[in-house]
Amino acid sequence: MIATLLDIVTSAAILYAVAAGLLIVFGVMKIINFAHGGFLTIGGYSALAVTKLGWNPWASLVFATGIGFVAGMIIERLVVKPLYSRPLDAILATWGLGIIIGQLITIAFGREVQFVQSPMSGAIEFAGASYSSYRLVLVLAATVIGVGIAALLQKTRLGLVTRAVIMNEDLARGLGINSGLVRFFTFSLGAALASLAGALITPLSSVDPNMGVPWLVNAFMLVLVSGVSFMSLLVATVVFGGAQVLVSTYVSPVLGGLTIVVAAAVLMRVRPQGFSRE
Amino acid sequence: MSSAGIQGVAGSPAVAGKARSDFRRVIVFSVVALAVIGVAPYVLDTFMVNSLIRGFLYAAVALTVDVLWGYTGVLTFGQSAFFGIGAYAAGLIFTHVGFSLGYAALALAAGVVAAIVVAGIIGWLSFYHGASPLYASVVSLVLPIVLTQVIYTGGEFTGSSSGLSGFESFDVSMELWFWVAGGYLVLLTAGAWLFVRSDAGRILIAIRDNEPRCEYLGINASRVKILLLTAGAVVAAIAGYAFACAQMVVAPEYTGFVFGTELVIWVALGGRGTLLGPVIGTLLIDTSTSYLSGNLPFYWKLIIGLAFVIVIVAIPKGLMPLIGGLFGRRRGEATVEVPTLVEAAATPFAGLEGAGRLAVELKGVRRHYGSLKVLEGIDFSVKRGELLSLVGPNGAGKTTLMRCLSDGYERSGGSIHINDHDAARLPPHRIVGFGIGRKFQTANAFDTLTVAESLRIARTRIAGPAFFSREATLALPKAALQVIRATGLDAVMGVEAKHLSHGMKQALELAMVLSLEPSVLLLDEPTAGLTKPERTMIGTILTDLVRDHGLCILLVEHDLDFVREISSRVIVLHQGRIVLDGTVAEVVESELVRTIYSGGLHAPAKP
Amino acid sequence: MIRRLKRSVLALAVCLAVPAAMAADPVRIGIPVGLSGANSVVAPSVVQSAELAAEEINAKGGILGRPIVLEVADDGSGAAGAQKAFDSLLFQKKVDTLISMETSAARNAGLPIVSRGKKPYIYTSLYEGRSCNKYLYCNAPVPEQMVAPIVDQFMKKFGAKTFFLVGSDYAFGRGMLKFTREYIEKNGGKVVGDEYAPMDATDWTAIISKMRSSAPDAIVMSTAGGAPNVTLTKQFKAAGLKAHIGNLSVDEGTAKSMGADAEGTYITASYLTTLDSPKAKEFMAAMQKKFGANLKTPNDLSVPQYDAIYLYKAAVEKAGSFDSDAIIKALAEVSFDGPRGKVQMSKQRHAPLNMYLGQVQKDGSVKVIETFNNVDPGEQCPNLK
Repeated sequence: MIATLLDIVTSAAILYAVAAGLLIVFGVMKIINFAHGGFLTIGGYSALAVTKLGWNPWASLVFATGIGFVAGMIIERLVVKPLYSRPLDAILATWGLGIIIGQLITIAFGREVQFVQSPMSGAIEFAGASYSSYRLVLVLAATVIGVGIAALLQKTRLGLVTRAVIMNEDLARGLGINSGLVRFFTFSLGAALASLAGALITPLSSVDPNMGVPWLVNAFMLVLVSGVSFMSLLVATVVFGGAQVLVSTYVSPVLGGLTIVVAAAVLMRVRPQGFSRE
Repeated sequence: MSSAGIQGVAGSPAVAGKARSDFRRVIVFSVVALAVIGVAPYVLDTFMVNSLIRGFLYAAVALTVDVLWGYTGVLTFGQSAFFGIGAYAAGLIFTHVGFSLGYAALALAAGVVAAIVVAGIIGWLSFYHGASPLYASVVSLVLPIVLTQVIYTGGEFTGSSSGLSGFESFDVSMELWFWVAGGYLVLLTAGAWLFVRSDAGRILIAIRDNEPRCEYLGINASRVKILLLTAGAVVAAIAGYAFACAQMVVAPEYTGFVFGTELVIWVALGGRGTLLGPVIGTLLIDTSTSYLSGNLPFYWKLIIGLAFVIVIVAIPKGLMPLIGGLFGRRRGEATVEVPTLVEAAATPFAGLEGAGRLAVELKGVRRHYGSLKVLEGIDFSVKRGELLSLVGPNGAGKTTLMRCLSDGYERSGGSIHINDHDAARLPPHRIVGFGIGRKFQTANAFDTLTVAESLRIARTRIAGPAFFSREATLALPKAALQVIRATGLDAVMGVEAKHLSHGMKQALELAMVLSLEPSVLLLDEPTAGLTKPERTMIGTILTDLVRDHGLCILLVEHDLDFVREISSRVIVLHQGRIVLDGTVAEVVESELVRTIYSGGLHAPAKP
Repeated sequence: MIRRLKRSVLALAVCLAVPAAMAADPVRIGIPVGLSGANSVVAPSVVQSAELAAEEINAKGGILGRPIVLEVADDGSGAAGAQKAFDSLLFQKKVDTLISMETSAARNAGLPIVSRGKKPYIYTSLYEGRSCNKYLYCNAPVPEQMVAPIVDQFMKKFGAKTFFLVGSDYAFGRGMLKFTREYIEKNGGKVVGDEYAPMDATDWTAIISKMRSSAPDAIVMSTAGGAPNVTLTKQFKAAGLKAHIGNLSVDEGTAKSMGADAEGTYITASYLTTLDSPKAKEFMAAMQKKFGANLKTPNDLSVPQYDAIYLYKAAVEKAGSFDSDAIIKALAEVSFDGPRGKVQMSKQRHAPLNMYLGQVQKDGSVKVIETFNNVDPGEQCPNLK
């Protein structure tokens, strides 16, 4: 029982970390970034590079965030910016980017599964149950990401401007806000967050060129049902992550794997605004 | 282009000839293509024959992606699922039941029925009033993922990841399969070509250009998309069935989303919205993959990915228009064609059973955005033959009220009856059926359609479109014809609507709404941006409509002079409430109204 | 042009080595293999095995005096790619035979094309069994050969009574564990859990929770290769559960990369690099000599490829011609004594094999615990003559 509860909390935390970058891009740019899986993979391989360089495993988090941010900056300028007025095309272009990232990584690092040195391993006693300590660390990490984004949006001028663009881009532009710059920054930040999430999840598993793909569709669904609110995302990850764990545990992991996409698709049909309040 | 268009008004023979030449061109194309396919197996080696059988069937599915995405704007990653459904229907029945001609027919029927059912469910999920296109795309991505998982879990029954192989199938040569697959593709392409160029095909473009406006013209866009998806599903399922029969293997790969996205890539590279582009793109890329992927396994996929991104960013129309540029231009000009305008037989106005009673009745209508009350306690009713103007300063709630009258989802509370029909929670296309016609403030309905095509779209609800041809005549109600003739629109019927002057666009909008033969006309600032003579003309037309046709007109207008000239009654809105409801004279003399407008009574019309 | 050049250079080299007789047309062996996709990790080692066999045979005069030329094609590790690869090899390159390690989906997609091309096809990958076709032979292990050593070890040596089976939801995972369950129950053991995760799943949390609550004596895993395999092993280790672990899908190379995480895991194979038979050592030395620093470590998926080329040679020589029907008949009758011991595909198109039970050590190496000679592949294709 405790273990299941911990599974739900940690699964929700992982989903939150993975979807946060996608959400911020969706909020500002109104596009679903299909290259998100590619950025997760970039994060995983950044962590691999850190391992290969023999640095401290924790350094991979900073390194991955940096690499992701730079990759996001380049891609935003080259590919996403020309497509501001064609959102469906932007989605397709980011899809193509995902393919390119995957192939480049395959060519550079090889197709095989590789391992990242975990910052910590083993299990610890928690509330009377033995539980993977790194999964618990992820809850902390997701909290830091959540609080960090909230602070960025609420406490900084950049955040204020970003919120203005999220609410009404035309109006914001009318007020003299450089929405192009906000988009540029947002996309880069989204890429950085995805890359960070990639580095965070690799110690649980392994890195391979397709590692981002299984996360992608679940993250899409969570973002779509969350509207543009990070609070809604939190609710969505707990509800759907919880449902996934419960279905996996008590019914079948195969059905569990489909829980999020199917439940979210139906929820959106019945209640198009999803978990957001309006 | 424009001069050709204007002269083209002259008569119907040109149009009829045009339509015939379309038909002739398709027949010539089909005969040539079928002849090439007939000879090909004797010229090509076995490898190419086998490759092209698969290529033809993939291309048939790519065609459905093109019609859905290129023409209608529905980006779908899920057509592979329907291909897989058709393939698995054959694979499962031949493996577990056995093969005979009867079972083969059964398998085909089972595949088609399953595809229709699944398409219906996906259509219901994806397309509803107010659904975002993004959501539909993501649902189309979910379908192949779920289906593939089902096949994996099916164990020995579905063959799981290995698929099913070694089942018996039609004992015919590969040459015959080549002809079957090639013939299927040619007939589909020809049929799709006639369809997208037909009057019905224009509806797809109208939905792509401006779906909400289609709804207000009484077209159930969601239903059109569901039907289109279902038709595409059947086409894909038949292709999948033929694939399984010819190749004697089915695998989850063919239902998967990777295949689904490959289809989109082929269509994008070939040229969306061109039909031939996707077909050529599919055949070329699929065949060259056989040659190149062995030599550069990873680089080949990288090259495809790069080409895809470059095409999407830099040449969104794909490579087909570039390649076909030489003869394409000539054809592009030739397509300007104009039907003859005739007067439609007077169809009774919709909802006439309400005649003599109330045309519009509102009780306690509210509209809240969160805590912001935009409309509150709106009660009034209007009879036939009234011309009611809604006035009030900016933000008074006039446009919101128009919206509530034409879309059952808009209001937060209260009831609305149109010609005694409860608007309930009905989408706009249903409300149009009660006799409402709404003209929007901004006049830019369908960018890529001509004036004549736009008017025909507006007639869809009443006249029903031709599916594989274009009518030589366009029958419009008298009121619409009056507007068209009075404004000179009849001289520019072949011009794309986006090239019209502002005044002409407004006139076109009005003519489109009148083509719906409404009994209640909602007009949002019909005179905005018009010159004085144009304004006078519109005013005359409106008063004629009320007098001659017994229409009920509700008008939102800033130009109070105009209001004074034509209204039989005026309602003043202020901060979401009705503050005055009376005759023109009563309103003009009202101290309250003066205060509200605070001297802005004669302010110039806002664009 | 380049191909012709290459061919003539090869012919020249062959002429120098063995005069006169070798001027004949080469024997083309088609190798459809997953150069891209899931199998791309192991594919290079398969190609290397084939290259060594071809070189050795050519040095001794080829097959019936004709030199071997290998035609490698990428099957993308899947059905669609396999159709292209098989079509290209059979109808463009006009190969005389197909010999390759592939995914089951690729093999299934290729079989109808082989039936039309009418050439012998030797499948060299361990798989879930029961693939039957007039032109098909298999010389690698099937569940009947892989499961027994592990389950016997657990039940007879360790007295294990309860088993938990976990796999990826795909043909191999399901096929292996279905047989495992039957075998355990037949021998009086009890299966307390039987769980599958989606094929690309890397999160095994829910299943590990179930393992924890059912507390089995032993766990048998059969996941998809690569990430699922590795993540299950690591997450199982992190969960701190105690049970005997048998893994039907881990190969030596993966074990090595997992190191301490896989320590103690039992695996079965028909080939391990640590085998110390003279033939195995000879093979390894030849591979090292030929490929040097570029050597991809030979493994249970690549060595059958080497064996199969020799088996094909023996069958052609027995048949005395390149007639497909004669070769297919002969393939069941010939044997080859190679790195894995004597291999003959004498049982319903499949081969009784020497199987080795190995255990992963702390450093990731695999120690041979026990050898089982001539393990029977069971009833694979009873309806095939």
